[in-house]
Amino acid sequence: MTEDVRGLLADACAFYRDSPRVSSLREALEHLEEPLRVGVTGAPGTGKSTLTAALGEIRALRDLTLVDDPPAPALTDATVRLLRHLEPDELASAPAAASSAFARQTAVDTVLVLARADETGAGRIDALLTAKQLARRAWRQDPLFSGAQGVIAVAGQLAYGARAFTEDEFELLAAFAAVPREEMERYLLSVDAFTDPAFPGPVSVDTRRSLVTRFGLFGVKLALTLIRTGSDSRVKLSTELVRRSGLGELRDTIAGCFAARAEALKARTAVVRLETVLRTEPRPGSDRLEARVERFAATAHDFRELRLIADIRGGRTALSGEPADEAVRLLGAHGTTAEERLGLDIETDPREIYAAGADAVMRWRHEAERPDRPLAERAAAQVVVRSAEGVLALYG
Amino acid sequence: MHGGHSFDVTAPAWLEVLDEAVAACRTHGREDLAQRLRRRRDRPPGGVRIAVLGFPKQGKGYLVNAVLNAPVCAVGDAPTPAVPVEIGFSDQPTATLVGRADERVPVPVERLTGELGARPSGSLRRVEVGVPRELLSAGLLLVDTPAIGDPRSPRTATALDVLADSDAVVLVSDATTPLGPAEVALAHHVRTWVPHVVLALTKIDVAPSWRAVAERDRGMLSEAGIDAPVLPVSATVRLAAAKTGDQELNARSGFPQLLSWIAEQATRPPEHTRAVTAAMSVRAAAAELVEALRGRAEVVGQDAGVDQTTLLQRSQRKADELRKRNTRWQNLLADEIADLQSDAEYDLRERTRKIVETIDETFDRGDPVKVWDQFGPWLDKTLTEAVETNYSFTSDRAEWIAQAVASAFGEQYDLPQLSLSGSGAELIADVRRPRVEGFKIGHKAFTGLRGSYGGVLMFGLVTSLAGMPLINPISLGAGAAFAAKTISDESGMRLQRRQAVAKMTAQRHVDDVFLRFSKECRDAIRGVQRRLRDHFTMLAEELADQLAREREMIIAGSAERERRMVRLRREIDRLASLHQRAGELGVLAGRAPRELPA
Repeated sequence: MTEDVRGLLADACAFYRDSPRVSSLREALEHLEEPLRVGVTGAPGTGKSTLTAALGEIRALRDLTLVDDPPAPALTDATVRLLRHLEPDELASAPAAASSAFARQTAVDTVLVLARADETGAGRIDALLTAKQLARRAWRQDPLFSGAQGVIAVAGQLAYGARAFTEDEFELLAAFAAVPREEMERYLLSVDAFTDPAFPGPVSVDTRRSLVTRFGLFGVKLALTLIRTGSDSRVKLSTELVRRSGLGELRDTIAGCFAARAEALKARTAVVRLETVLRTEPRPGSDRLEARVERFAATAHDFRELRLIADIRGGRTALSGEPADEAVRLLGAHGTTAEERLGLDIETDPREIYAAGADAVMRWRHEAERPDRPLAERAAAQVVVRSAEGVLALYG
Repeated sequence: MHGGHSFDVTAPAWLEVLDEAVAACRTHGREDLAQRLRRRRDRPPGGVRIAVLGFPKQGKGYLVNAVLNAPVCAVGDAPTPAVPVEIGFSDQPTATLVGRADERVPVPVERLTGELGARPSGSLRRVEVGVPRELLSAGLLLVDTPAIGDPRSPRTATALDVLADSDAVVLVSDATTPLGPAEVALAHHVRTWVPHVVLALTKIDVAPSWRAVAERDRGMLSEAGIDAPVLPVSATVRLAAAKTGDQELNARSGFPQLLSWIAEQATRPPEHTRAVTAAMSVRAAAAELVEALRGRAEVVGQDAGVDQTTLLQRSQRKADELRKRNTRWQNLLADEIADLQSDAEYDLRERTRKIVETIDETFDRGDPVKVWDQFGPWLDKTLTEAVETNYSFTSDRAEWIAQAVASAFGEQYDLPQLSLSGSGAELIADVRRPRVEGFKIGHKAFTGLRGSYGGVLMFGLVTSLAGMPLINPISLGAGAAFAAKTISDESGMRLQRRQAVAKMTAQRHVDDVFLRFSKECRDAIRGVQRRLRDHFTMLAEELADQLAREREMIIAGSAERERRMVRLRREIDRLASLHQRAGELGVLAGRAPRELPA
């Protein structure tokens, strides 16, 4: 796929060599060799930099470049968009959706994040759970949000703080957690109370202030609750906080939808650019390039896989339970190697892999051809068949 | 405070101004503003209404609940009503849904949220809630509004509509971020309609840097010229304090200040408030109208400025162009016609000259008596041909001239009818036969006899000397020779005479024809000239007329614009004076103690 696109872009560069727009095509061509670029965008105050920093240190995402608040013309392959609230108004203020037909068909490049999830519901202790439910509901039901590859509630500040937990901080929190809850409660009522000079114990106001600034009042409260309920070491607490903050889910989504599809997304960026140039500057003979773009759009299977994964996970298909899990796996949500798609171990005998693949093709082809199912379902099954066939092709 | 007195003095004044403003709003098609002003005017006296306004997720519901210490408003993820909720005093908690047609449906307070969710949106006008709270006992009404959002949404319109009835407004913004541009704009709008505004900075319990945010918000408000205090509050702390009855904690929640601000609104003499709010509303409405009018005036001004000059310039250019064209085609016509005159005459002359040469040649050699029968028809034919050729040449040239003049005038105009009438060649009279006669026998005999007489006599006398008789063979022979010679001589002379006569006749005929036709031709050419001149002069005049009319219209249009401009200016002035008078009223009412400067 990348080879095709590279050829297409090189030809386009040659075709438009005397146009001022050629530099944008060259940039896209060169970018095919670079790591995937993911932009983190959002209104001021949504915590873009904090989340970028929190994501930046994750090993699973080391192959991609995160760009904090990319300026408008910058080249990015995918976007993590931060929202303060899941309000339609907030989403409506987005920059205009992708303009070209191809870009719209293959709009698999956005993940929405309900940032500052810890502020949901007046910062009660179940705020993160509520936020998670809200995000999930919006993704499943609200057509404004369902176009994204995922809507994920993340407490960015908490996640960032929890990833870089120091032993001192853990000791401090553990000491606070040791204080009886009723006694502590009044000091956890507000930031002011927490940093009040009347706070019992020897910890200085400045230390307490830095603690609450790093984790947020909600983070402090959650950490104390977690320590009391068994997260009794720094690592345990850190892991639990990261998990609850939603950072893990965001990481998995970015890894599965973006990092694993880096080649396809970069190719998409290049083709979208080319399409824009073709549309804004048509020339005699450019229709041949257009035809090649169309052919690319028609054959690019990755985008259909990504779209379908999002639809299955968002509950917008008739699939559920075991078949849904298998479909998502075959579509490559857990990794795009043959073994990962078929849910087999890495060292599996190729013959066994082939047999499993053939079995999957058979079953899903059956699904795709059942006349009693609505067209949309059969079309979805067809996409799964195509993915499974792709696995077979590797061993054929 | 001098409530009653000031009412007597100011009420008629502000009512009058308000009525005038309503009329102005209606004249300018702003029924919405008129509606707002009417609601100001017709509001039943007594009772202070405080609206709570803010963007979504700013903690508005929590704030209202914390003010009242009662769970009146939906908070968190629960759906918030899309209609205003009016919260007033009652002994027992009550809740009433008021429908579009003012039908009232009492519902249990605890089921209010569920009931609201069950109603289709748009079926309600407002919700009235009664709570037994001291704060509200003096007739104070708190109005919770739907969250402000998309400026075009009906929800936003409903929220802003509440401003028309409000005496004071609590704006809600949370302390996690400073005010956004939209929030500042909202504050500005609110402040132009309502004299008393406070910004409640919520969620200070979770925002570590709320003090800095409060400072920034204060700065932003004063920078935008919005006179509104900023009160940081925390509903969470307030509720915790209420639970434990902890006065100190309550003080930290920031709510006591907010409550005292609200109470202060309630203690203002309502008449003052009404005067001030009326004045403000008039000012706000007048300002909005003036802004719209200024926009229109600007548009009109631009029209006048740009369009008129360009149009006039364009028309001036057209007139110049026409003038230039006129000179061009007139010169061209005169030159071409003169050329044609001389060319046609030369052509005809040349042709006739050739004919004359042929005549000379013919009669130098030929005997008219013998050749005239052939010569006459030839001459007629040749002459007709010459004339016709000349005529068609002239007519072609005339056509060409017409084209040339037309193109000098402008391609788009049509040509006059130019076809010349027939050449007139058929009118040429045939050449008359000259009076020439042949040398007849009688003449010859007589001439011969006359010549022989001399010969006979001469030789007879000579021979008579030689003794011969006078009439002898020799003299007779000489006589015969003499006779022959005389006849021959006479015959040559006669021929010459005939030739001369024939030549003269033919030449005179040719001259006649030439004269007649050169005149005819000149006349035709003049006719063409006249026709072309008349045609294009008429066209030019028409064009000039058209341009003049255009110019008049442009000038008339600008006069019309000028009039419109004057009307707009007068309207703006009128509204400005209304604005001014309302301002004076506000100041008058503002002299009352504890009144904030308007």
